[in-house]
Amino acid sequence: MSDGQIVVSGLTKRYKNLLAVDDLSFSVASGRVTGFLGPNGAGKTTTLRMLLNLVTPTGGTATIGGRRYADLTDPLRTVGAVLEASSAHRGRTGRNHLRVLCAAAGLPSHRADEVLEMVGLTPAAKRKFKGYSLGMRQRLGIAAAMLGDPHVLILDEPANGLDPEGIRWMRSFLQGLAQQGRTVLVSSHLLSEMELLADDVVIIAAGKLVRQGPVAEVLASMTTTAHVRVRTPQAEALTAALTEVPGASVTPRSDGTLLVTGVEAPAIGKAALAGGVELHELTPERPDLEGVFLELTAGKAGIR
Amino acid sequence: MRLVKAEVVKLLTTNTWWLFALGALVTWAGTFAINATVAHFTMGAAAPEGVSTEDAANFAVVSDQIYQAANLYTSGQFFGLLFVVLLGIVMVTSEFYHQTATSTFLTTPHRTAVISAKLVVAAVAGLLFWLFTTALNIPATMIFLGAEDLPTHLGDSIVQRAILLNGLAYLLWGILGVGIGVLIRSQIAATVTSVLAYLLGTALIGVLFTLLAGWLNQDWIEKIQYGLPSVASGLMVAGRNLPNQPDYWVGAVVLIIWAVVTGTIGTLITRRRDIS
Repeated sequence: MSDGQIVVSGLTKRYKNLLAVDDLSFSVASGRVTGFLGPNGAGKTTTLRMLLNLVTPTGGTATIGGRRYADLTDPLRTVGAVLEASSAHRGRTGRNHLRVLCAAAGLPSHRADEVLEMVGLTPAAKRKFKGYSLGMRQRLGIAAAMLGDPHVLILDEPANGLDPEGIRWMRSFLQGLAQQGRTVLVSSHLLSEMELLADDVVIIAAGKLVRQGPVAEVLASMTTTAHVRVRTPQAEALTAALTEVPGASVTPRSDGTLLVTGVEAPAIGKAALAGGVELHELTPERPDLEGVFLELTAGKAGIR
Repeated sequence: MRLVKAEVVKLLTTNTWWLFALGALVTWAGTFAINATVAHFTMGAAAPEGVSTEDAANFAVVSDQIYQAANLYTSGQFFGLLFVVLLGIVMVTSEFYHQTATSTFLTTPHRTAVISAKLVVAAVAGLLFWLFTTALNIPATMIFLGAEDLPTHLGDSIVQRAILLNGLAYLLWGILGVGIGVLIRSQIAATVTSVLAYLLGTALIGVLFTLLAGWLNQDWIEKIQYGLPSVASGLMVAGRNLPNQPDYWVGAVVLIIWAVVTGTIGTLITRRRDIS
């Protein structure tokens, strides 16, 4: 399903005195879950809304399967989107909300019941939207996105407001969709969640691309220097012993451990043995996505 | 056609339509009672002694049976139009208020088509409100005129014209509502502004222009008030012209211009607007 590829190229959005998205380019492959990461205010939502023709870009293009969203003949059958502000009329039932969309998209109205079943909302189908919990609202948004059985799914912060059970359900649901060959693009600022969910990541900060690629590669690109946590009652003796090892540098940490960088754990153990230093802990530290993320976006986050 | 169907489903799956219809029914009953009372006491009565010739001329028109019959057959227009314009407004503003504009424009990226469908459905809804009040007005007026021992006047071309143009007014106010809804996106601001402008503005501006005209001694200033949609629709259904009043068709032209201008500007704005 190569037709589900999302390509963003030179996308720019300038508001009066804010460059929300700045010459952003990336691509999203089908058959994989791609995490779209960035701190709050990085321009994630604006980018997704430009991709979906809700916001007009100042410059650049965004295409899905080679076509702009506005040019899709049957948008709901091609792309399903769950946006942060996905909402329904408070006085309308969930089922009727979906039926409105069916009518507008020319889909048979029994699709409404099918997607409600798919997201487990059938018992609440005839309840008004104002009586829905946050989790139920997110499920209704996903149901709406699935109406046209689209190849491409775009979700903006879908984990917001979900309980752990809901998050787990969402994860397996999205991964299942990707395994069927669909394109799944999920934005989030919850990094731990993305590490479990995504195959690829696109990281942006201050409207600019920071890094893009498979999760493992992005992590690996950051682990150029080894980080090892060492706990010892003889910190001074170990520091002295490590001065003999080329490249090693020792930094005491506030919790009483030492952070050793520049050498791998076996070299540290060997130096400790040679120097007669007692070790209580020797743990290689791999930066997780969160650490990478904070490192990459440091100083670019926050209020702009 | 899909989009028209979608708008109809939207309208019928919330409480708005029947609440507004109920409002129209209640205000219709009140208006008809008042109109019938006024008709009972003015029809055929002679002008009181000692009034100015101008007032006597007004009185002669008002006491005319045709004028009163046209007024009775179009009873409920003043508030009926208010409910129709509010319905049109809510059709647009609720999309922003409840943030359904996102899913609406995701389903249909062609925004002009969406607004066009809203214009069609609002116009048809306006016509249905007209059918509804007219279906009440015709038997009620016939019974009233029968009780007064007067002919029904339903065969009179002026009365028929008034009833049909009343339908045009309802239709145009539906369109006007959608136009206003797009121009003032906030649900509360749009509805409150419209209700105030309709109820107070109509009366205040009428008085203001009449005073101005008298003060500056320029009769034409008084006529500016017929440029207001609410005054224009009243003019459209008048059975007889009051002295100094423009012809009925001027009211129709004014209303059509309002509907076309708000509808067009509204559509153009929606095409450009960022939905976030």
